[in-house]
Amino acid sequence: MGVPYVPIVGLVGTDLLARRDDMVIAADPFDGKTKSVVAKALRPDVAVFHAQTADRYGNVSCGYEAEVVILAEASRHVIVTAEKIVDRLTDKEAKGAFIPTIHVDMVVHAPFGAHPAGCAGLYAPDAIAMREYVKASQDDATFAAYLRERVFEVSDHDEYVERFVPRSMREPLRETGS
Amino acid sequence: MNYNNDELMAILLSREVRDGEISACGALSHIPAAGLLLAQALHAPNADLIILNSIFNPFKTSRQFHYIAQRGELGLFFVSGVQIDRHGNYNLHYIGPDSEHPTQRFPGGYGGGMIYYGARRTVVFRTEHTRRSLVAKVDYISAAGHTPPDVLRHGHPTKAITHKANFRFDKDAGLLNLDTIHPGYTFDDIRENTGFDLGVASAPMTPAPSAEELHTLRHVVRKTMIDTNTYAAWAQRTLGAA
Repeated sequence: MGVPYVPIVGLVGTDLLARRDDMVIAADPFDGKTKSVVAKALRPDVAVFHAQTADRYGNVSCGYEAEVVILAEASRHVIVTAEKIVDRLTDKEAKGAFIPTIHVDMVVHAPFGAHPAGCAGLYAPDAIAMREYVKASQDDATFAAYLRERVFEVSDHDEYVERFVPRSMREPLRETGS
Repeated sequence: MNYNNDELMAILLSREVRDGEISACGALSHIPAAGLLLAQALHAPNADLIILNSIFNPFKTSRQFHYIAQRGELGLFFVSGVQIDRHGNYNLHYIGPDSEHPTQRFPGGYGGGMIYYGARRTVVFRTEHTRRSLVAKVDYISAAGHTPPDVLRHGHPTKAITHKANFRFDKDAGLLNLDTIHPGYTFDDIRENTGFDLGVASAPMTPAPSAEELHTLRHVVRKTMIDTNTYAAWAQRTLGAA
């Protein structure tokens, strides 16, 4: 990624297209006639996402196939939170999507960093916490209270895990030595 | 012969599958999943099936699926919409006149806004046949049935299927017309429960589910779905429950 724009088969005539000024209908530059939607590239300043394993050099292995590779390739800065930080990722450990250190600015050790969502292969989404999130997001006031409780008034990630990740989710993982 | 609405719709969708093609359905699609497996068991043994979130999915990421459609290699796609209109537009976004304060909000289009144009044929299905689901004009166009002839598009909707009737899409006019009426319903039933003009004054009856279709659905497909954990709970509850 890092390309200026991308042509797409689709979206013509939709209300999505009608509402976006970063997508236009353009003629094929080669035949000058055939029309398709051209979407301006998203160029994020910072991408933040969670992965299974990162190493001290900034290489990242998601653990499963994931679209975050193009996110890393498109963004100016990339911060990756990871379940586990190893000294150096070996080819054997690097499973699924791989992001080389050249794209990565920072890796952060954050076990259960995907909570309340899941981290493929390690833990499933926390269904109860997801329901609380959905409920809280029904209106602005309850969502603000949710953010206050779980984000702004939590001193650090360890406190978040201690208070909000159920013990039943944590213990089996600790036993496997992650 | 007795059958329930879901069984009928799975059978009707299975009839749309062609042998040797790639046919797909999206997420949360138990009826098309059953239809795809039924077609494979009956008349399309060499069809490639894509059933997302199941073992019948060759891809690791959604991008890989979307590019099959972009390439024009997807033969058939099944999609549903909260609302469907006569122009073949469907709505998976929201209901209500005001987009900022919708009466109801839905998950959105997934990749339908691209796949609808990339698949060679798309069959839109709806388990509710009423004036609120089949409407004169959708509140939001998530994907458009008709586009100008100079727009690059590999395919378009070919049919809309409910538990009461089949509609056929006239590509040149860009309009759905009533095609056949399922056993047990009348033209007046369809007219009263459809929010747009049917385009015809009468329509023949849809061939009823055959004994072979029902038997295969209730035994072969049901077992496959349970064994492979493909909407297993639904299959167990619904197939053969008439």
